[in-house]
Amino acid sequence: MTNRWIVLMVLLPLLTGVLSTPIVARLRLSRVLGVVGLSATLIAGLLLLNNATSEQAGGILVSQMGGWAAPYGISLVFDTFSGLMLCAAAAVTLCGYVAALGTLDRTVERRYFHPLMHFMLAGVNLSFLTGDLFNLFVAFEIMLMASYGLLCLAGGEAQLRQAYKYVLLNLLASALFVIAAGLVYGMFGTLNLADLMRIVRETSEQGEALPTGFTAVSVVLLTVFGLKAAIFPLWFWLPDAYPTMPVPLLAVFGGVLTKVGVYVIARTFPPIFAAGEAAEVIVPILLTAAALTMVLGAIMAVAYRRLRAVLCMFVIVGVGFALAGVAVGGETGLAGAAFYMTQSMIVAALSFLVCGQIENRVGSDDIDDAGQFSWYRAAPWLAVVGFVLAMTLVGLPPLSGFYGKLWVVQAAFTGPDETPGHSVWWLGLAGLVAGTITLLAALRWWTGVFWLGREDQTEEPPATQPASTGPRSLTLAVALLLAASLWMGVAAEPVLALAKDAGTNLADPQRYITAVLQPETTEPSYASTHGTTTPANDQAHRASPSTPEHHAQDSTPPATHADDRFGPNHPIRLRGGH
Amino acid sequence: MTSLLFKTATRLILPLSLLFAAFMSFKGHNAPGGGFIGGLIASVALWLFAMAHGRDALIALVPVHPRVVVGFGLLIALATAALPLLWGYPLLHSFAIDNFLGLGLHLVTAFFFDFGVMLVVIGVSTGMIQRLSEEVPDESTGLEGDLA
Amino acid sequence: MTAVLAICVAVTFAVSVYLLLGRELKAVAMGVFLISHAANLSILAMSGSPILPTPDPELGITKRPPISDYDFDGALRHGDIAAPLDVMVDPLPQALILTAIVIGFAVMGFVLTLLVATSRKVQTLDVDELATGEKRHDPVERPAADGTVQGGAA
Repeated sequence: MTNRWIVLMVLLPLLTGVLSTPIVARLRLSRVLGVVGLSATLIAGLLLLNNATSEQAGGILVSQMGGWAAPYGISLVFDTFSGLMLCAAAAVTLCGYVAALGTLDRTVERRYFHPLMHFMLAGVNLSFLTGDLFNLFVAFEIMLMASYGLLCLAGGEAQLRQAYKYVLLNLLASALFVIAAGLVYGMFGTLNLADLMRIVRETSEQGEALPTGFTAVSVVLLTVFGLKAAIFPLWFWLPDAYPTMPVPLLAVFGGVLTKVGVYVIARTFPPIFAAGEAAEVIVPILLTAAALTMVLGAIMAVAYRRLRAVLCMFVIVGVGFALAGVAVGGETGLAGAAFYMTQSMIVAALSFLVCGQIENRVGSDDIDDAGQFSWYRAAPWLAVVGFVLAMTLVGLPPLSGFYGKLWVVQAAFTGPDETPGHSVWWLGLAGLVAGTITLLAALRWWTGVFWLGREDQTEEPPATQPASTGPRSLTLAVALLLAASLWMGVAAEPVLALAKDAGTNLADPQRYITAVLQPETTEPSYASTHGTTTPANDQAHRASPSTPEHHAQDSTPPATHADDRFGPNHPIRLRGGH
Repeated sequence: MTSLLFKTATRLILPLSLLFAAFMSFKGHNAPGGGFIGGLIASVALWLFAMAHGRDALIALVPVHPRVVVGFGLLIALATAALPLLWGYPLLHSFAIDNFLGLGLHLVTAFFFDFGVMLVVIGVSTGMIQRLSEEVPDESTGLEGDLA
Repeated sequence: MTAVLAICVAVTFAVSVYLLLGRELKAVAMGVFLISHAANLSILAMSGSPILPTPDPELGITKRPPISDYDFDGALRHGDIAAPLDVMVDPLPQALILTAIVIGFAVMGFVLTLLVATSRKVQTLDVDELATGEKRHDPVERPAADGTVQGGAA
């Protein structure tokens, strides 16, 4: 169903960012504007999600930019999957932003922190919304450009030492993305995701071969998205670059940015780039990468002694679980991935903010240092929050981490279509092993920080230690995220239903294709506003008088699929000559 | 870089280039050109000017802070893109104006989008040149908030 | 024409990969800029010449602009050229390239600023020294990375 308001998810952060650019020196105004803008984005996301799940919308809202019909213009698509991601991203960014207001240094805040934050959310939201491969590149660039700025925001030596790694790697990935997008266009003559899904599906149904080199393009794209998602073996930049950032930014980066990569893999790989002949190569790569990301990430989480690095590895383990769901595919696997990603965004952000609270007390993120602090006297509630958090990261049943992992592991054991031969039992086993090691890692940091060190302590902590766990805004953000996380565990029904719907949509892209390529013409067409006579459809045009050469060419229809894409009722709206 | 010839030439080239930039952005809708190209042409002229006369002369020439130019340009572009939403059209929908302000000029509203893009390009590139041509290294931090 | 473009792409890629493997961050940055140019050139090469008269025998695809087949005025606009839209090159890859150039322009500005900031703050642009935080012992005397940025504007 057409709904032009879905662009609000991009427009609102963009507008907030633009408005806060000239007033960057006026902190109070910027802050009010920022909180209002981000809250408005979150509310818009929730309303749209509600609208999308209503009866007549059928789960998918579409808007064609500039009124150009689907394969030609840029389509934005809001379905349950992107809706879940959009709402979680907006919520996490809002909480990270609120936490930043109290914790960031004022000089740092004046360095375009506010506009960069909003522009990054605009880029993230556009990557979730877009239905076009090249527009996805643009969205990535908006997001990355802002993230480069935020990464170097504090301008410290440690940050600058690590920043170039993140920046140059992502620039390299962008160049690869451009090449791959060009190749896809050269092969199919379209970059619209729905159109690509349709072409790939119809080609395989007719038993024809996909263009030569399709698998190679898939591998290139997997490299690009895998680098963004930090899957094995492309994760090496993450534990280096992320921990140098201030905690609130770390929460937003760790929560949202890697999920964008996984989201794009989930959106494009099962129906397009891991379909047809490419499946033989891509699916084993995805399965192996998912298993290794989970298990090795968990092992490294045990190995690190610094809390920030441990939590970064937990982010990577989460990426591995989501990727496992995507790689196995099928309704259950994809639904598990969708739920797990939504939950993991919130929990990852929460974990970094809690880490910030611990640091505010102790002055470092070293687990041994933190263990020397008497938590039971000063902040027993933080130990409780930490325990709930650790168990959520592991995924124990009453907490929100459980359902996603359950579905993913279940899908791996039963296989995507629940036929015995298609079981990917070893991936399920890897998931269970990774879960066990994650439990070890989580208990290790929790006991290291809150439990073990206290016994060695000979005297009371000196009074010079900071008296609080940080400003109230940080506490507020932690409370909000913790509430969201608990709600997703105890009252998971609505989110689970949405995730189930997202999984169904992803497993069978026909609904997506139909929604994007044949929208009801509720929006006025270009022709009616311009008064130019535009042929209503292909047949009408073909019947119009034209030169013999034209006829000669028309009479030999080329083998391209370009001719199939116009149904008899499909309006082609193009600008006439001015 | 500071020869008299070069200095005099850039003074002559600058207005001509700005005129050409405006021309390019106007003809951009149906022919090669557009706001981005126009903005680039204008910024090349401004860069040349800065090379010949120095950074301070450029700041004197464009007294507005680059970030204001960028913000204003973005706002124009965003408003042009978003306003059709209020009348039931999708984002970025473009309307044709046959007789613009009674001047007999055929314009599409996409022109204003292009104009915003032009301002952004000019603002970004002058900001870049001002920032990168700064002589004194900043001791306190490598990345100061202010562009100029 | 395609052969010339292909050679250009290959040479640009080779140079950029050589630069990317360098130890000096300036060279690496140049390599990244060059590789984005190579990517743009390769899109241009892929967009190809105007429409093929018959479908490509290997791919089964007639390369042509997606809008070229439809002549919306119903009349010829350029005198005796038979079908004006049919001699048109696909405009979409060029639009993609323009977008990529715009983004590359912005990114280049940022990376240059980052290099200036890094060289001022960390006093080195050597990749190894940035990673380890130690001065590299080099038997051959190199020009000292003293934070001055060569080739700065104006």
